Amino acid sequence: MTDHPRDDLAAYALGTLDTAEQRMVGAHLDSCATCREELDALEEAAWALAETAAAPAPARLRERIVSRERAPRGRLGALFGGLRAPVPLAIPLALALALIVALVGLGSARRDADTYTRAVAAVVGARLVALSDTGEAPGARGTLVVPVDPGASAPYLILELPSAPAGHAWEAWVVRGDRAIPAGLVEDRAGVLTVALTEAPAAGDQVAVTLERSGGASQPTTRPVLAGRV
Amino acid sequence: MSTPDVVSRDKAAAGLVDVGLIGRIAAGDAEALGELYDRYGRVVFGVLYRMLGSPEVAEEVTQDAFHSVWRQAGSYRPERGAVRTWLLAIGRNAAIDWRRTRGKRTEREAVIDEAAELFEELRVEDRVLASLRAERIRAAVGTLPVEQRQVLALAFWGGLSQSEIAERTGTPLGTVKSRVRLGMTKLRERLAGEAEQA
Ligand SMILES: [Zn+2]
Repeated sequence: MTDHPRDDLAAYALGTLDTAEQRMVGAHLDSCATCREELDALEEAAWALAETAAAPAPARLRERIVSRERAPRGRLGALFGGLRAPVPLAIPLALALALIVALVGLGSARRDADTYTRAVAAVVGARLVALSDTGEAPGARGTLVVPVDPGASAPYLILELPSAPAGHAWEAWVVRGDRAIPAGLVEDRAGVLTVALTEAPAAGDQVAVTLERSGGASQPTTRPVLAGRV
Repeated sequence: MSTPDVVSRDKAAAGLVDVGLIGRIAAGDAEALGELYDRYGRVVFGVLYRMLGSPEVAEEVTQDAFHSVWRQAGSYRPERGAVRTWLLAIGRNAAIDWRRTRGKRTEREAVIDEAAELFEELRVEDRVLASLRAERIRAAVGTLPVEQRQVLALAFWGGLSQSEIAERTGTPLGTVKSRVRLGMTKLRERLAGEAEQA
């Protein structure tokens, strides 16, 4: 390990380093818990400076910020039409881990957080694709985990879903062109869970989750609650 | 009365909420962006107002900054700092860019010169709005030696790098660096001491 950049941490927290210096300190932080702890305290001080300037912005600003990114909710033809363009985004593993801990760490058992963190850590090098919440089931979240080495494990979804209504289940689909292939079923469970996909999605495929009758359907009959492109 | 344990647990919980929001934003959830704005919009807008000197410009740049957050959420790295610090850095960079590309040179210089004074000065509307906490932070900054205060102000409000501060004030770079370090370290200690008393 290189020397701790002790002298530069204050300037890093204050945002006054040159780009090159900033990169060097950032790279060091990736692997040094000591400096991260030090930085944490310095960031408190920098944030305190910022707080002295806090001022109410015009009320219209919030709506402007949100509506600029909000997907248009038009009338929908085909079930899978009109979806907000899936964010073609691979979440870095560290963020996915932190996100999973955030999802389960605040309400559920610590044990669950560990389970899912381990599950993701087991496939380091996996590609993670965030699924977009389509607005059909508020609070639904999902991440697709695709191991880089296909022999390592099947691709799977980490999902946070509300309970399916009685007699129903959540079903995962791989959508290839205009064909939807059933890829896994979640019955009788809510909260954060994982489901291994029985069909491996290829590049360009969409992965989606819909609400279906218990036992699953051969074709989706409702609009997806989550969708993302591989 | 709050113990350090409670403080750090609350902080950790707030950090998890923030990371959760960034995850939802990365997944394309615009409402999560609104929630992030609810948590930190006042501070980001206020800092940009200070840096740019105009509420209209600050509003525009704040909007740009949150748009950048929307686009860059997937590249947030928890190891490299807290979400709110990352957000603030995006906002400050947007302000620095705006000044460089759109601001008039004379105004830009005036704003930067003014920055050096900003830790002493309290505008009337601020006085009305300032919370007790903001007063206490200002008091803590006020106890720093004037040369440290000036360097922190030029860096934070002026948006200058350490080498730019050295050039502008005719101070050796090494001296600027040690003033930044000492100023921040002392400020941190004073705020920590202050939190214990509270
Ligand atoms: Zn270190």
